[in-house]
Amino acid sequence: MSVRYAPAILLGRVARTLARWRKPGGGSAVPGLVVNAIAPGFLPRTLNSFPGGLVIVTGSSGKSTTTKMLVAALRAHGSSVFTNQSTANISQGLTSALLEQVSLAGRIAGDIAVLEMDEGHGALISGSLEPRVVVLTNVMVDQIDRFHDSDMVAAMLAKIAGRATGTVVVNADDLHLSRLGDGLAPTVDVARYGVTPEVLAANPRGLGYTLTSPTRLLAEDGMLLSAVDGRDATILINGTEHAVHLPARGTHYAVDALTALAAAQAALSSRFDAATAVTAISTIPPVFGRGEVVSVNGTTVEFVLVQNPASLQLNVDSLAPNTEQILVAVGSDVRDPSYLWPADTSGLGHVLIASGSKAHDIGLQLVYDGVTVDRIEPDLGRALDDFLALPEPATGVKTIIFSADSMRRTRAHLGLATNEADPT
Amino acid sequence: MTLAPTPGLTVVSLLPKLLNTNGDAANARVLAQRARWAGIEASVVPVHTVDDLPDSVDLVVIGSGTDTDLIMARDALLPFADVARAWLAGGVPVLAVGTGWELLSGGLDLADGTAIDGLGLIAGRASSLPARATDDIVVAGDDVRLIGFENHARGFTGARRPVGRLISGTGNGDGFEGSVAGNFIGTHLHGPVLARNPELADRMLGLACTAKGLVRPMSAQADTADDIAKAARNQVAVRLGLDAD
Ligand SMILES: [Zn+2]
Repeated sequence: MSVRYAPAILLGRVARTLARWRKPGGGSAVPGLVVNAIAPGFLPRTLNSFPGGLVIVTGSSGKSTTTKMLVAALRAHGSSVFTNQSTANISQGLTSALLEQVSLAGRIAGDIAVLEMDEGHGALISGSLEPRVVVLTNVMVDQIDRFHDSDMVAAMLAKIAGRATGTVVVNADDLHLSRLGDGLAPTVDVARYGVTPEVLAANPRGLGYTLTSPTRLLAEDGMLLSAVDGRDATILINGTEHAVHLPARGTHYAVDALTALAAAQAALSSRFDAATAVTAISTIPPVFGRGEVVSVNGTTVEFVLVQNPASLQLNVDSLAPNTEQILVAVGSDVRDPSYLWPADTSGLGHVLIASGSKAHDIGLQLVYDGVTVDRIEPDLGRALDDFLALPEPATGVKTIIFSADSMRRTRAHLGLATNEADPT
Repeated sequence: MTLAPTPGLTVVSLLPKLLNTNGDAANARVLAQRARWAGIEASVVPVHTVDDLPDSVDLVVIGSGTDTDLIMARDALLPFADVARAWLAGGVPVLAVGTGWELLSGGLDLADGTAIDGLGLIAGRASSLPARATDDIVVAGDDVRLIGFENHARGFTGARRPVGRLISGTGNGDGFEGSVAGNFIGTHLHGPVLARNPELADRMLGLACTAKGLVRPMSAQADTADDIAKAARNQVAVRLGLDAD
């Protein structure tokens, strides 16, 4: 690493200050654009320079939670971690995040970097990256307009996995990823994780993957999720059962924890201590915007983020029974109103308000699924105010299920801190 | 096929695992729900192989799949050729969306120059468009304006009769959208086209009820759903600078 990036870094910092000044809390991509234009090698060189290497977490869903858990596990082992948890996934956002911490010599304090990467963008920028570990979560048909089909998503993930120099961590229950693991060069290790037949059987709709492997992983072949009960899970690591407390209810969070543990083992190798990692993961706070519990003027509200039809299904199925007050908001990020229809929302039973710019479309789906919808209110601000003004529910907590766009608007309206990591 | 007719309506959802990319299989759910709202028993039967076919079939819905699975979907449809021919000849209302429709036609001409034979049950064939069409689509039908969403890379030529004339969007690629043959409707309007355009659903239900000697009363629940659908359609219409319904 040389000082030749210093001018670009300085310019990027100026751009960052200007962007903040123009739009408080926003403009995160602008300084990255400046640096990437002036010094295109900055991003890969910096990311490839960590002594403990680079870990990339990618896949259709579960990236954010898995990344947070993995970072917590690594930090609990004494590692100093650079991560992009508070920035967008795109390369400009990443560069902006690096600018926050990089010295003018182009160096960042830290032993290891852990990056969450969108599968599409990951394939674009991964050509220049040399990750030591690549962690693959799953393949779901996500954002139909953009990716069109699951084979394309799998191909993008294969491209990222192909850059790994050490270990590729794969979900053995996802047939696309299982096959991908089989096809990797013999020079890299493949670490597999999966659920037991009992855990799969407890999820009659499956785990949301586009294709589920016909057979389950054996304990001698990788880490296993052997039980899930509400926010408690049991994970089998090297023949020992570990009790993990999850940040929210549901098998998908348990699989995220499993993924993070398998990734931590791959990243730490002989330094990995299962008990330390499990304790760290069990104590992380609920993940931002997904099953996140917040207090608004003294009222407890649970936020549930829906990113694709599979996550809508999983969230509907894992909702606490008898949740009495539900608001569902879908915004302009769901360009095609057909998008969520593959999910069966009948489990919601009763929705007090359908809102967001796609209020009518989601309301229509709910009604056809036999859900009672009391009101359709496209004005999200008004819907939120009225929903929060209702008396406390007799059972459950006030629950808001929303798309990413509606989540951002909700946070803004309620004056809650926004996070640049919120998916776009 | 059957000794005593079943009392209610049976809606077949054909190959819902392979052909449901955009929730098109939900159209079966929409038909059954509208029938139930009107006090008519209705069930949706997912049919993956001919062995799954119920004795009596009153309505059929076929959705759209991904291009990667085209051959697999065609081969899965082949064993249904005779029964589908009987449905079409017998006036069973059939809705086919996207690739489900294309595979029932003469065939598909793909962008790479190869072709896939269809089942040849519906006149015309699908052929590549200059660019993928992904947008809202508005169609002037016989006496109703249809609004939906399209996302496809192929148009359609040789339809004996289209569903309607294009007001906005790409459709078949020639200013028209869809194909109609008797009680068959093929369309690019993907996802829950029947929920968003209930006149189309009621046309299919009306035909099925008449065939079965059932009277379909009005339902308050359908009215509520149809008001929501109208608001959703009007939102698109206004955005496109068209008059609201
Ligand atoms: Zn307000």
